[in-house]
Amino acid sequence: MSVGDRARDVLARLANASATERILISTAALLLSILVGAVLVLVAGRMTACTPNEAVYYFGTGFCYDPILVFDRLFLGALGDPLSGGWSPDGQFSVTLRETTLLIFAGLSVALAFRAGIFNIGTQGQMVVGALATAVAVLWGATLVSGVLGTVVLVPFGILVGAVFGGLYGAIPGFLKAYADANEVITTIMLNFIATGVTLYLVSGVFKDPESAANQTVPLPEYAQFPTVLFGGRQDFSLVALFFGLLAIAGLYYLLEHTAFGYDVRTSGIQPEAAEYSGVDAPRTVVASLTLSGALGGVAGAMYVMMILGTFQTGVPSYGFDGITVSILAGNNPLGVGIAALLFGVLKSGTTVVQFATDVPPQLVGVLRGLIILFVAMPEFFRLVGKRITDTGSRAVATDGGRPEPAAGSSGTSGDDGGESDE
Amino acid sequence: MSDATGSAPEEPRRDESDGLLDTHSPRKIVAWATVGGLAVLLAAGALFPDSLAGTLSDVITSRNTLASALRLSVPIAFAALGGIFAEKSGVINIGLEGLLIISAFTAVYVTDVTGGVWLGFGGGIIASTLLAALFAVVTIRFRADQIIAGLAVWLIALGLAPFASQVIYGGPNTSTVPTIGAISVPVLSEIPFFGALFSASPSVYLLFLAVALSWYVFERTSFGRWIRASGENPKALDTAGVNVAHVRYAAVLLSGVLSGMGGAALSLDLGQFTGNGPTMVNGKGFIAIVAYLFGNYNPIGAFLSTMLFAGLDAIQTALQLQGIGVPRQLIRITPFVIVIVILALVGRTRTPEAAGEYYESGEE
Repeated sequence: MSVGDRARDVLARLANASATERILISTAALLLSILVGAVLVLVAGRMTACTPNEAVYYFGTGFCYDPILVFDRLFLGALGDPLSGGWSPDGQFSVTLRETTLLIFAGLSVALAFRAGIFNIGTQGQMVVGALATAVAVLWGATLVSGVLGTVVLVPFGILVGAVFGGLYGAIPGFLKAYADANEVITTIMLNFIATGVTLYLVSGVFKDPESAANQTVPLPEYAQFPTVLFGGRQDFSLVALFFGLLAIAGLYYLLEHTAFGYDVRTSGIQPEAAEYSGVDAPRTVVASLTLSGALGGVAGAMYVMMILGTFQTGVPSYGFDGITVSILAGNNPLGVGIAALLFGVLKSGTTVVQFATDVPPQLVGVLRGLIILFVAMPEFFRLVGKRITDTGSRAVATDGGRPEPAAGSSGTSGDDGGESDE
Repeated sequence: MSDATGSAPEEPRRDESDGLLDTHSPRKIVAWATVGGLAVLLAAGALFPDSLAGTLSDVITSRNTLASALRLSVPIAFAALGGIFAEKSGVINIGLEGLLIISAFTAVYVTDVTGGVWLGFGGGIIASTLLAALFAVVTIRFRADQIIAGLAVWLIALGLAPFASQVIYGGPNTSTVPTIGAISVPVLSEIPFFGALFSASPSVYLLFLAVALSWYVFERTSFGRWIRASGENPKALDTAGVNVAHVRYAAVLLSGVLSGMGGAALSLDLGQFTGNGPTMVNGKGFIAIVAYLFGNYNPIGAFLSTMLFAGLDAIQTALQLQGIGVPRQLIRITPFVIVIVILALVGRTRTPEAAGEYYESGEE
């Protein structure tokens, strides 16, 4: 199937790139996205109205939004203003870590599928399904146990339920791909819409909180939510959840790099024919990878319910799509997902600060999300720019795309990347 | 050449098409099942007018249903036509959804600023074409992975349109602007059911024209042959002295123009752009992809399968108003379920040989 082939092609190309080059490309893509974002903020600032006093002036022109202030708020604001004194862990910084925690799971979900050569765009739907299942199951469990015992039992139970339901929902496109050859990009996107529709139906009907006007489940009792450790509970962040996230990163890294299943996943991602030849059951690997990927998405949903919202409500934020950005930024490497999730967590948390400080709409982060993906997807562009900078002696860069040889050559210089050594 | 390209433009319902297509292909089974199911339903409805079948056949034979099916099919079918051009040339454009979103917003914005609906329509086309041009440069010049770049196009538009709406209108929804309005052909529009075909928005007529023109381009022009060769056998095209990259640029830009018409028609039909959640486009670009896969890359086939989706959508809307037992939220997801079922049945589609691959010319 063509989509799978292409994923593999990308992976093979990424495998050729050295780790250093990959980090350089991701950083460059991030910086370039921010630069384009700044231009966008300037343009938007021209299109909106403000008084001359509010405007800032660059190149003799007035703008209603100040990109420097925007990015100052975006980054420093997201970290809780560490430079201005009076920093407290309970401020915006804990929002950043909260977003990071969810992005870790969403990013790992996408990354795992990607490593198997599968585009899982359905993390969002898997998360929504896992979230509702967790809310309903934990609500039921909360009638049986309570207090500290309740927390100890219910939180892992909720995560498990989220994983199981997210996993089952992820298995659907897995089976469709493995046995009916249905393109997973389309099926997972369709399943996102279906998940939203079905959960809306359920949560406005059978599972609706009769006390609430919103379409939401009955709120979970305090003891059925993630406990707050060190950080105050004001921003709905739990260090325990972040710890689970780090555990998941380590776990997935180990699974991919040091187990037989991980080997199957990686080889089917890079060389499906070789994988089948060496005895990998391809359909089974597809189903297993998408199930596991869905389970990670489901855990993100469980975290969302048990850490952030304390209930299930329609209109779950699009962590699933952010997960695609995180994974691609991380080169689909579990360890990289941790760093990329933190970076993107800063962006997400920072946009709310930006909104307070400057009126720039929070949808800005949505644009950055797309731009980052676009720029990471074109390493050739950065190679070309890189060549232009380094090749000062030779003729100016030819107009052809530049053959991939330089990349292959440079991969010899550093073989320190843990992932892609076996072909 | 003859076998491979001969099978591609075959219309799904035509029998005895070609030895390559199995006579019992799932595509044909679905097509015939649809026709057969409709016939049985209409017969049952005629016999028992008070039953559910009666209600259903009333809805199906209603002129309003055909009218709304046509209206709903406009954005999907335009995007599907665009998708065919791009994919046949070897560039899989999964960002159709994004092209629809950006053109839907821009059309309303330009209409609002200039006061001219057709200027807005043109503005939508330009916006979509520009975004398609970005996609083309990124995939053709900088060899980005087509699927990932397509996702990026979707996500950029999904962020940009509500962002712009928020900046300009202070909310994700724009203010309302005049709509295109309908053109009624005298006499013909009086025909009972099919009169809906002659009393429709200009965008519907534009769609008919686009379907016919696309078919003509692929079947009768050398540009159409180049596009096919660029997707099937770029090497041969290159050898014949035609620049593969240029053909692909043209095809992707065309997909931007066509999707732009679809998006502009979508929002100008309503007179507003709504940008909450998945925006008013709400998956139409992805349904378009399935529509042209199901239509086997044939413009007419794609239009027919779009009508199947849009018809189902129109029926579910009508049923919501009739208030039959099934809850609204569940009826609303039927198009998405149908897409999955069809995709599972059709399964492997014969994508153009070189689709998704970067082509590097030997010379240059």
